Amino acid sequence: MIRNTRMKRFSIVSAVVALGAMVVTALPAQAAEPGLTSSEIKLGISTPLTGTAALSYGKVPGAMKAYFDFINANGGVYGRKIKLVVRDDKYLPTLAATQTTNLVLKDGVFALVAALGTATHSKAYAAASLATKKVPDLFVNTGFSGFGNQTKYPTTFTVLPSYAMEAKIISKFVKDKFPGQAVALVAQDDEFGVDGVNGFAAGSLTLASKTLYPQSSMTDARAKALVTGLSAIPGKPVVILFGTTDVTALIFKAAESLNLVSKFTWIAGSVGGDANTLLALGVKTTTIDGAIAASFFPDAKDTTDEYVKEFSKINSKYNPGVSFDNIVLQGMNSAMLTVQALRAAGKNLTRAGLIKAIETKGSTFASAGLVPLNYSATSHIGYNGYWMGQLNAKGELKPYGGTLSVVTTDSTSGPITPSTYMRPSIPKNGIPTNS
Amino acid sequence: MFKLTPSKKRTLFFVAIGWALLLIGDRIGELRQYQGSFVAMYALAIASIILLTGYSGQLSLGHSALMAVGAYAGALSINNLHLHPAIALVIATFVAGVFGLLLGFGVARLSGPYLAGTTLALAVSLPTLANQFPILGGEQGVVFDVGVPPARFGENFSQYKWFFWISTLAVLIMLWLISNFVSSRYGRTFRAIRDNETAAALAGLNTGRLKVLAFAISSGMAGLAGGLLVMLISGVSPSAFPLSLSFSLLTGAVVTGVYSLRGVMLGGLVLVAIPEIADSLVTRIGGSEGFTATLPGFLVSALLILAVLFAPNGPGKLLHIFKKHS
Repeated sequence: MIRNTRMKRFSIVSAVVALGAMVVTALPAQAAEPGLTSSEIKLGISTPLTGTAALSYGKVPGAMKAYFDFINANGGVYGRKIKLVVRDDKYLPTLAATQTTNLVLKDGVFALVAALGTATHSKAYAAASLATKKVPDLFVNTGFSGFGNQTKYPTTFTVLPSYAMEAKIISKFVKDKFPGQAVALVAQDDEFGVDGVNGFAAGSLTLASKTLYPQSSMTDARAKALVTGLSAIPGKPVVILFGTTDVTALIFKAAESLNLVSKFTWIAGSVGGDANTLLALGVKTTTIDGAIAASFFPDAKDTTDEYVKEFSKINSKYNPGVSFDNIVLQGMNSAMLTVQALRAAGKNLTRAGLIKAIETKGSTFASAGLVPLNYSATSHIGYNGYWMGQLNAKGELKPYGGTLSVVTTDSTSGPITPSTYMRPSIPKNGIPTNS
Repeated sequence: MFKLTPSKKRTLFFVAIGWALLLIGDRIGELRQYQGSFVAMYALAIASIILLTGYSGQLSLGHSALMAVGAYAGALSINNLHLHPAIALVIATFVAGVFGLLLGFGVARLSGPYLAGTTLALAVSLPTLANQFPILGGEQGVVFDVGVPPARFGENFSQYKWFFWISTLAVLIMLWLISNFVSSRYGRTFRAIRDNETAAALAGLNTGRLKVLAFAISSGMAGLAGGLLVMLISGVSPSAFPLSLSFSLLTGAVVTGVYSLRGVMLGGLVLVAIPEIADSLVTRIGGSEGFTATLPGFLVSALLILAVLFAPNGPGKLLHIFKKHS
């Protein structure tokens, strides 16, 4: 008897569940080009809005929205307004996969923009079937050179120079400027760091010490132990920090508390060297003063730069209350690249046309980067070079030695050559008119 | 008139559910298929917690780690041993089960908060440990690719439908096995231990051994759920198994009613539906992205409190009470 009522209840619950699922009707048949109407282009971004990674990168969607709002207020892209759908992935692979799938299947976006992270986005790309659905995956914020593999990621375009390029360029810089000094490398133990470690090997930099750590495991105590260990190296060793900003901050703070800041020459990679974030995380201005960092952008505090000037104007009008920094600059720059890509694809916009447009015209797009954009049919990796700078106490990155020297290279064994790239000037009033 | 034995009824019931899901799978869009796969996977993970907590009286806060063990085992069997995905899922179950068995021996003497603390420590440390072994691929992890659906299903058979089929089939088989198991002698002995360990021991049950067994079976189920999870996100990495996953599963178990396996599908539905509900709420009332990001957590907490206050034994028991009063 008991079993019967139990069975009955069980059946009722299951029947309700089954019915509920059946009531959910199939999605409407997909139009030829999803996310596109005569008046709107729907784009989607999956990025951390909450959690630790959001501390630095959480500003990207806001900055992009601000720029799109600005373009929309000035006529949009051939009359179409851009709508950006933002979804929070907390920098977790599972959420990146489900949120990107939601963007494609539920929100029906035309293209994805500015996704963040390697471990997250590589899973999201496969889970959301971006390749089979041919969804353009524009300006991904990672320097993992694996995304350049067009068989695996046919619709992806990354924007950052690869980590291997950066490591090669830092290697040459250290050998040129600090000959004979011991070098210690502290790198994150994942694709990002390993890409870098390979780059340092390709740059044939002799390392006195190499520390690889998992990103989530660096703590205050470990940072102190690490810095203490490094302080045993005689002379004034060069310490290269190739990890995220929160870890750079931990190590800097450890050196502060051990009174060892001036014992080393500090070099921070572009990912972990954002001065604003470092200061916000409690690093002293005296510590970052003199630290060396690699960058491919102008400094966000350099108001003489025409891009910085125009973008900060847009930021104060369309993104009120958010201070203009390197992350906002990066977000606006990606948004501007997106607008140019959409324009280049023409009035008769299609997903395939958009990808083709970036392949054929992407290298001529106006952008804030001081290094060339490398898009072509054979390369989907964006910027391909760096310049080395030195931070001052205000957190401004100034060219090392006073003169800006931009170099360019590839992710493998190619030479490092001075760049002859002339950055296109910003479109009038910051509104692209390309076609 | 022929009479069905309870176990035959159960089998028929699962076949019927499978048949219904097959029909449903054809009638829903890709997004619902994908979400349905997650519902099935969560249902299994919740069932593993219910088996452990509700049936054998042990509390685990570390099920995300056990899922991770299964997930890595499955991914490595596909990537390094080039095994068939179905075999990889079996291996995921088996390896996590063995891991649970060993762990079970270690923690058999612990109970209550001590056991919870130990398993919590496991959940906290396992992802970091995973970073120490190069074969596990560090933060980037290992790809878990079940491949495209077989060509004989036709061109319109999408990847998501394939996921839906694999997940629901794997989960149904596992739940069928477990529902038979808990109706057997073992199920009764588990409940005896849960209700009064001393009395059970006096009645001649080897409580230590049975608790270890419960832990191993629960781990195996969690391992399969982990394998399915990383299939759905196409790869395994430490950050796919955060501590919050353990807590979500526990919440799902409490909402489902921790003493019965019957509502597990409900628990899975709740975990998948909450972000959806939050989404549509925010769209309707027009909140910011920050609001969307925090609302699911709020809804889950509210549901948890309501469940504990009004339906501590699950919604099924609540129905029962209503029936009694009417």
